[in-house]
Amino acid sequence: MATSGDNVKEPIVATPEAAKAFEEAALKALEKFGAVRSEKNPWGLTVVVDRCNLHATVLAMRDELGLDMLMDIVGIDYLGFKDYVGPRFAVEYVFKSVYEPAKRMMVKVLVEEADLKVPTISDLYGIANWQEREVYDQYGVIFEGHPDLRRILNHVEFVGHPLRKDYPAHRRQWLSTNDYLYPALEKRLESKGYRILERPEEINPSEEEYLQGSIKK
Amino acid sequence: MAVEAQEANFFTTKLDFIVNWGRKNSLWPFPYGTACCAIEFMSTETSPYDLSRIGSEYVRFTPRQSDVLAVQGTITYKQAPILKRIYEQLAEPKWVIAMGACATSGGVYDCYCTVPGIDNIIPVDVYIGGCPSRPEAFFDAMFEIQKKVSDESYMAQRKERLKEQWELLQAKTAQAKQELSEYSRAKAQELKEKAECLKNTAIRKAEFWKENP
Repeated sequence: MATSGDNVKEPIVATPEAAKAFEEAALKALEKFGAVRSEKNPWGLTVVVDRCNLHATVLAMRDELGLDMLMDIVGIDYLGFKDYVGPRFAVEYVFKSVYEPAKRMMVKVLVEEADLKVPTISDLYGIANWQEREVYDQYGVIFEGHPDLRRILNHVEFVGHPLRKDYPAHRRQWLSTNDYLYPALEKRLESKGYRILERPEEINPSEEEYLQGSIKK
Repeated sequence: MAVEAQEANFFTTKLDFIVNWGRKNSLWPFPYGTACCAIEFMSTETSPYDLSRIGSEYVRFTPRQSDVLAVQGTITYKQAPILKRIYEQLAEPKWVIAMGACATSGGVYDCYCTVPGIDNIIPVDVYIGGCPSRPEAFFDAMFEIQKKVSDESYMAQRKERLKEQWELLQAKTAQAKQELSEYSRAKAQELKEKAECLKNTAIRKAEFWKENP
């Protein structure tokens, strides 16, 4: 059986030349936001931006550079890091392009412990919602403008942020009861057009209990 | 069943034997699978190993229909209340298997989020090692539970249970009696005070009318 050669596409490979060209283009495009290349990453492109320029930088990367996939948001705690001078915390965003493998880069924001706030990018990338919740849960970084910033991995009665270097790794915290999910479930059902006709007697939603451990007020 | 089992006789020993025979050959497991040990349990159920040879082919996914809670995998602190609740929902008689290193001791996860052994939460009958455990090890645990079951005495358990219930009933009755007596004493005191008050009022009224006719 003959196959038509028109439908077979050449596999797109990330060549070193394409990667280098992308890096130059990205640095040129992000220059106006004060993005500086970090010399600590010899294997790829990491730029450090100020947190007030973060939202504009990410928007430019998504729309102009074509980085349409946010792979991860990582929190970093530099407490006790060897030969390090600078703010204690950092949040790093890992981006790549789905169709062009040469396009991949990272953005880093340095934040002081006293003012641990970073603007959210969950309005640009949907996945950033849960990833920012994870960074908040594990490091205590507050993402300003996040629609629902509460713990995602640890339970609601957890005190502290376990991936900080000053959290004792073996300090265990018991949970007294399982998570109370009825208010969230009812809210979700109501948003989809359902109506709560009756609920069992033992269910008495209390917003305060449910939001314990959350900063949402 | 209205026989008082004061000491072992022919009837009670034969009843024990029959009940234990029935129980140990129909141990229905409830798989609480949270990690790779659950995959090994699945292969225990398949025909090469065939757990139905000892009557455990029915894996019930509700705690109300099963006898053996097989905890297969890591239990985190977020999950601990759920496991405890499921254990409490299991109908008596119930037995627990901690399968694999994680359920037994926390395993390699020696950190802030993992419970170091489910015996911090619920009582465990049989522990199995391995990471994950082999299906043969699960069979071994089931045989251990069968041995444990065949040593139990239904009549003795029933006697203990009845005794417990009788003591509970007695305690509750005594408490109710106490409460009733306290209440009646308080009520009597109250009535006495009221009567005294009425009496004083009547006397004062009589005196008033005597002085101001």
